[in-house]
Amino acid sequence: MEQLETIDLQKVIKKELITVDLEATTKEGVIYELTDLLYEGGCLTDQEAFIKDVFLREKEGATGLGNGIAIPHGKSGSVLKTRIAVGISKNNISWESLDDKPVNAIILFAVQDSDANTTHILLLQQVAIFLADEDFLERLKNARSEEEVIELFTKNKKRNGEY
Amino acid sequence: MNIVGVAACTAGIAHTYIAKEKLMKAAQEAGHSIFVETQGTIGTQDNLTEEQIKEADVVVIAADVKINGKNRFKGKKTIEVPTDLVIKSPNKFIKKVEEVVAPA
Repeated sequence: MEQLETIDLQKVIKKELITVDLEATTKEGVIYELTDLLYEGGCLTDQEAFIKDVFLREKEGATGLGNGIAIPHGKSGSVLKTRIAVGISKNNISWESLDDKPVNAIILFAVQDSDANTTHILLLQQVAIFLADEDFLERLKNARSEEEVIELFTKNKKRNGEY
Repeated sequence: MNIVGVAACTAGIAHTYIAKEKLMKAAQEAGHSIFVETQGTIGTQDNLTEEQIKEADVVVIAADVKINGKNRFKGKKTIEVPTDLVIKSPNKFIKKVEEVVAPA
């Protein structure tokens, strides 16, 4: 895989798509709340259609990775811009997870149906790679501000294949 | 030992790549050599070479969908699991692989 410049992640992670204070306390509520951010940020044409695609994916298997993190995702014709929305919650939110525990940090991937821009997908891969790092997960769950979340994703020094 | 692997998930967006990272990390920490190919939504990356496959003691396939090019591994000891298992407990999985390859 090509090594990516850290700055590049800023193309898919935007401050206005992050909240460290989720109001919703249910899985469905969280998906709606994060979808609202994506819609307001001009990333979606149709909220309901996107949510439908996200729940279609949910039916195929757990998106809770364990360690309090969930990564629901929708590849959908309703996505205008490939982005990720991030929500952190003080509450424990019930979610189908690999460790059967609730989650506090949710990363919603919105991916264009025919994303001609391979760079975007490579960036999402970079995000996925961070999610294999337990230290990163701890810091994400404890992030207190939107800036802190952005910094975690864009200043993370860890690179593919380095341990 | 030498491990080659393939990771692939339903959407090909996230789990594939998390599984690859976890596999690489766990295998390298246990002192093994490992190469993992990903088959995702943008196609195949880090393609396994003939040489890597030839040298491998074992093939691990972490996939939720049918993978491409399985015939490359014909005659090789192959372990197939869903991506979830690798993501959830990578170290345990590598231990299992060790047991299968070199039974105590």
